[in-house]
Amino acid sequence: MDLTYTPEEEAFRTEVREWLRANVPSRPLPSAGTKEGFEAHREWERSMHRAGFAGLRWPVEYGGRGLGVVMQAIFEEEYFLAGGPERVTSLGQRLMGPTLMVYGTEEQKKRWIPGILSGEEVWSQGFSEPDAGSDLAGLKTRAVREGDDFVINGQKIWTSYGTFADWMFALVRTDPEAPRHAGITFIALDLRSEGVEVSPLVQLDGHSGFAQVFFTDVRVPAAHVIGEVNHGWEVAMTTLGFERDAPSASPAIYLKYVHDLVDATKARGLDGDAAIMDRIAAAYTDARAYQAHALRTLTRQARGDAIGAEASMTKLLWSEMGSRIGELTRAVLGEHAETDHSGDPLSPRERWHSRYWFSRAATIYAGTSEIQRNIVAERVLGLPKG
Amino acid sequence: MQFAFTAEQDALRELARDLFEKESPPSRVRELFDGGERDAGVWRAIAGVGLAGLAIPESLGGTGGDEVDVAVVMEEAGRAALPEPLLETAAIVAPVLRDAAADDDRAGSWLSQIAAGEAIATALLGDAPFAVDAEIVDLLLLERDGELHLLERGAFTTEAVESEDRARRLFTVTAEVSLATKLPGGRAAADRARLRAAVAAAGMLNGIAVRLVEMTTSYVRDRAQFGRPVGSFQAVKHRLADVHSAVESSRAATWYAAFALASGAADASLSASVAKAQATESEAAANHAALQLHGGIGFTWEHDLHLWLKRGKALEQSYGSAIDHRRVIARALLDGSVDA
Repeated sequence: MDLTYTPEEEAFRTEVREWLRANVPSRPLPSAGTKEGFEAHREWERSMHRAGFAGLRWPVEYGGRGLGVVMQAIFEEEYFLAGGPERVTSLGQRLMGPTLMVYGTEEQKKRWIPGILSGEEVWSQGFSEPDAGSDLAGLKTRAVREGDDFVINGQKIWTSYGTFADWMFALVRTDPEAPRHAGITFIALDLRSEGVEVSPLVQLDGHSGFAQVFFTDVRVPAAHVIGEVNHGWEVAMTTLGFERDAPSASPAIYLKYVHDLVDATKARGLDGDAAIMDRIAAAYTDARAYQAHALRTLTRQARGDAIGAEASMTKLLWSEMGSRIGELTRAVLGEHAETDHSGDPLSPRERWHSRYWFSRAATIYAGTSEIQRNIVAERVLGLPKG
Repeated sequence: MQFAFTAEQDALRELARDLFEKESPPSRVRELFDGGERDAGVWRAIAGVGLAGLAIPESLGGTGGDEVDVAVVMEEAGRAALPEPLLETAAIVAPVLRDAAADDDRAGSWLSQIAAGEAIATALLGDAPFAVDAEIVDLLLLERDGELHLLERGAFTTEAVESEDRARRLFTVTAEVSLATKLPGGRAAADRARLRAAVAAAGMLNGIAVRLVEMTTSYVRDRAQFGRPVGSFQAVKHRLADVHSAVESSRAATWYAAFALASGAADASLSASVAKAQATESEAAANHAALQLHGGIGFTWEHDLHLWLKRGKALEQSYGSAIDHRRVIARALLDGSVDA
C-alpha cells in the first residue's frame, strides 16, 4: 500500500487548486434552473474549457487531456472543496462524449464532440419516462422511420437540464414487436426541433431542476442514430458503464458535511450531548469507511479493472450515507431547521435545505437504492432473479 | 496511489486461509465448544509457516511484516473462527515486545520463542475483565495504571470463567506488578497496544462477517419456499446487499487503519477507532442477517453458524466497543484535532 501521489499528480492538484481559487465565482451563480442562471453556468463551462479542464479523461485526439482516473478524482475533490458551481455539461462530458467515442461514426464525433467539450452544446439524457423508471426497458416513446428521418412521438421525464439544454441523447422504441430490449434505439435529438415541448418541473425544494419533454411528430435525421437501429440497449449499457467507471462521489463531500455538523452542534450548544455526539461520530466513521472504499475502488480502476456491478455498492454506500447525514443535520438543527435566522452562526438555511433535499433525491436518481440492492444481490452475490 | 495488497500479501492471505481450513476446520472449533482439549499441533503449524512471528524481525526468526500483513491474517482468522490466541500473540504482544526490544532485555528472547512457536501470549488491556487463554500462555501482557507489564507464566494466577463462545476461553487474572515487570514506553506504548488490538479485532470481525455473508448467501440460494429459492425474494436480497456493502467498506476502513499504523500516519489513532467501530457495526448487521435468514436451522447447536455468531458477539465488545470508539472519535472531532 502506498497512498502518496506522484509528482505529476501533485502538480496537477496544485494547478487545479490555484485555478479554482482564482476563478470560482465568489458569489454563487444564480440557479441553473433559470434561463439567466443556466447561461451563467454555461459561461463557467466555457471558462473551464479554455483553462483545459474539460474532458479530463478523454483521449487527446478528441480534445481531452488523456488523464487517468486518479487525476479525475483529484479534480473532483478540489472542485468540491473550492465550492465550484454545478456542472451543467456533466451528462455530455461523462456520458454522451465517451459513448460517441465508442459507437459514433467519424461524422457524428466531429459534429458533436467539440460542442460537448466547449459547453456550446449542453446535453440532457432522455431515458426515463412516466411508465419507465426503474424498469427502463418498458419505455414507449416511439420512433418510426420515414425516408431519411425518424419521426418521434412520446414523452421523457425527470430530464435534468431539459428546460435549457440544446440536445438530448434518448432511448426510443423502433420495433414494438421485438422483445423489450431488442426494439430500442439510441438517438441524438436536437431539442430545438419542431414538435419538442419542454415543461419544467418544480422540485419539492422549489428549484426548477428537471423537466418533462414531449415529442409530437419530431423529425430526427436517421443519421443521428448512435450505433445500430434496434441495438440501443447495448449502447445505453455502455453509457451507464461510463457512469460507473467514473470516480465515486468524492469522499471529501461527506467528510466536509460531518465537520459542518460538528460546527453546528457547537453552535447549538449540543456538543455535550452524548446521544448526538455518538451519532455524529457514527456519521464520521461512515464517511471514513466510504473514503477507504473509494480509494480501493480508485486503485482498481487505475489498474484497468472493470468495476461493473460493484459500482452499485458504491452508489448505495454514498447515497444512503448522505441520507443519514441529512437526517442527523435536521436533528442537530432542531426546530431551527425550519427557519431562516439571519446572523445565525449556522450556515445559511438555503445550503442546509438544498443539501438535505438533495440527499433525499440521491437515493432515487441514477438507479434507486432498491434497484442498486437488486444489482448487488444478483450480480455481486449471485442470488437468483426474482 | 496504491490502496491494494501486494502480491506477497495476497499469497499470505492464501497461505493463512489454507492453513486454517486444514488445521482448524469448523469440526475442530466445535470440539472445543463441546469441551474438547486443545491441540498444540495447531499452534505449531501456525508458527511453522511464520504466522506467529508475522510482526517479528527476521533477525529474531520472524517474517518481518507490519500491521498490514497482520490485518490480512486477522481477516482469515476471523473467517475460520480460529480458536487460538493469534490476535493476542501476533498482533498485540509481539509488536509491543518489538517496540520494547531496544530497552528491555527480556523482549528479544521472547520474540524468538514466539516466532519459533515455543511461546504463546495473551493480553489484558485497559479495563478488560478477562484474558483469552490465560491459563495456557507463557506470557501475559498487562496494562495497569497506564503502563504495560510483562509477566511470565507462574507470575500470575488465573481462574476460568465460562464464556459463551466456548472456543474462546476466558480467564480472570490475578497479578502483582513491579518495576521488574514493567515494560518501557509508558502510556504511549499502552495506547499503541490498544490501537493495534482494536485494528486486529476489526480485521477478525470483518473476516467473521465475510464468512457469515458467504454462508447465508449460499443457504438462501438453496433453500426453497413457495416453490422458489428464498434468495430470489427482494426482502432477502436487499438485506444481504446492504450487509455486504457495509462489510466491504469496513474491510477497506480496517486496511486503511492498519496502513496508518504501519506508516506512522498522523491519523493512525483515529483510524483505528473508525475501523473497530465500523467493523463492529457491520459484523453485528451480518450476524443478525445470518441468523434471521437461516431461520430455525441457524438456531440449532448442530448447525455451524453459531460458531461465527458467538465469536462475532464476543469480539464486538472486545478491545473497545463501537460506542467506546465513537466516544473517542467524538472527542477528537470536538477538540478540532481532526482535519476537515
